Amino acid sequence: MEFWLSTIMPGLLTGAVVTVSVTVASLLIAVTLGFGLAVLRQFPRVRLLNFAIDAYVEFFRNIPALSHLFILYFGLAAVGIKITSIPAAIIGLGLIGAAVTCDIYRSGFLALGIGQVEAARAVGMTPVQTIRFILSPQAIRVALPPLGNYALQLMKDTSIVSAIAAPEIMFYARSMVTSSFQTTLIYSSAAMVYLLMSLPLAYAVTRLEHRFGGKANA
Amino acid sequence: MLEFLDVYARHADQWGPRLADAAVVSARISILGFMLATVVGLILGLAQEASSRIVRTVVRGYIVFFRGVPVLAILFLIYFGLPGVGIVFDAEPAAVVGLGLAFAAQMAEVFRAGLGAIPRGQWEAAMSAGFRPAQTLFLIILPQVVRIIAAPVIVTFVALLKDSSLASLITVNELVLEGRALATEYFLPLHIYIWVGAMYFLIAFPLSMLAKYLAKRARGARA
Repeated sequence: MEFWLSTIMPGLLTGAVVTVSVTVASLLIAVTLGFGLAVLRQFPRVRLLNFAIDAYVEFFRNIPALSHLFILYFGLAAVGIKITSIPAAIIGLGLIGAAVTCDIYRSGFLALGIGQVEAARAVGMTPVQTIRFILSPQAIRVALPPLGNYALQLMKDTSIVSAIAAPEIMFYARSMVTSSFQTTLIYSSAAMVYLLMSLPLAYAVTRLEHRFGGKANA
Repeated sequence: MLEFLDVYARHADQWGPRLADAAVVSARISILGFMLATVVGLILGLAQEASSRIVRTVVRGYIVFFRGVPVLAILFLIYFGLPGVGIVFDAEPAAVVGLGLAFAAQMAEVFRAGLGAIPRGQWEAAMSAGFRPAQTLFLIILPQVVRIIAAPVIVTFVALLKDSSLASLITVNELVLEGRALATEYFLPLHIYIWVGAMYFLIAFPLSMLAKYLAKRARGARA
């Protein structure tokens, strides 16, 4: 018990600070870049652009995050592009997340229906104004609950950046195991720390779902 | 660019067979893990509707726990943590059990949504026609549920397939770990990890497209 209080928990909580920082930073990249992509995807006439965005989304959604991180961290270093572990983790998870949130925003836009666009055009709004003032505010509201779910998933996914030596919770857990051999205690404590962080998030998502209606499947 | 591709041409016969063998391991843990997730998920999905409050609370607790803890933490707990209390798994079974239990929570939600879409009258009609509960479930209810949940089931499988890459971190010799071994042997990590990523993509992308198509068709059928 004393060892748990004096060594294990402080170690894991130090890692938790990095977990939260990486989550927040990559979440910011994901929600902004993903929104940009989803908005660009709303202009149906630019075929090449649409194809490029779809390719981006499918590329990042159909390859494991671990694989992307290894390409970024080990792969690029071998050709002279060196990114240290925490920035690599943030960039990697952020780019993957942009693909996820792009799909979320898009189903938000899809939920609005063509009548909204027609009405906006009828009162003389340009396409850009329609997206800016009519569609986006509504789409973002619809997107909030699935975005919350995504944030929860992202927080858990940061655990894999321990594989590229970013010092978050699992990284500290592993390094403490090599010095103390208390494997059961350390790994169950690590699971508990994650649970303590995800419970409030999950509660917030449930509240969002009640507030903004049903789960839009992303 | 040509130079970059030339590396693949020179190494294809060394890397190809080894990565193909590793892909078999990835496929095996994904499929076995998914089967476990389906069975446990169905049981949990049914139990969520149970009349006993204790059963419902236990199921809720299971889902909250596995939704709240990363798959990697679960794998580490099973493979490195449980031997401390005398439960020892080999790496591959540990990966199957970990992936299966974690994704069972997701499958439970999928089944719950699917089961909820079948009107109660179907159960009552089947029972009054003399079907036993198990017969009703497997012969009447599930065949209808399967059609409703086909798309989310495939989406869940793709997510599990991607997370099977985490098994590399508990020493299962699947695609990513074999990729790491090759990367240290040949000092060509960029080429090798791109190849590894491409192999996942070749399986995951068609499945994702199928899921999208099925989801679209299901929406059309309901409208």
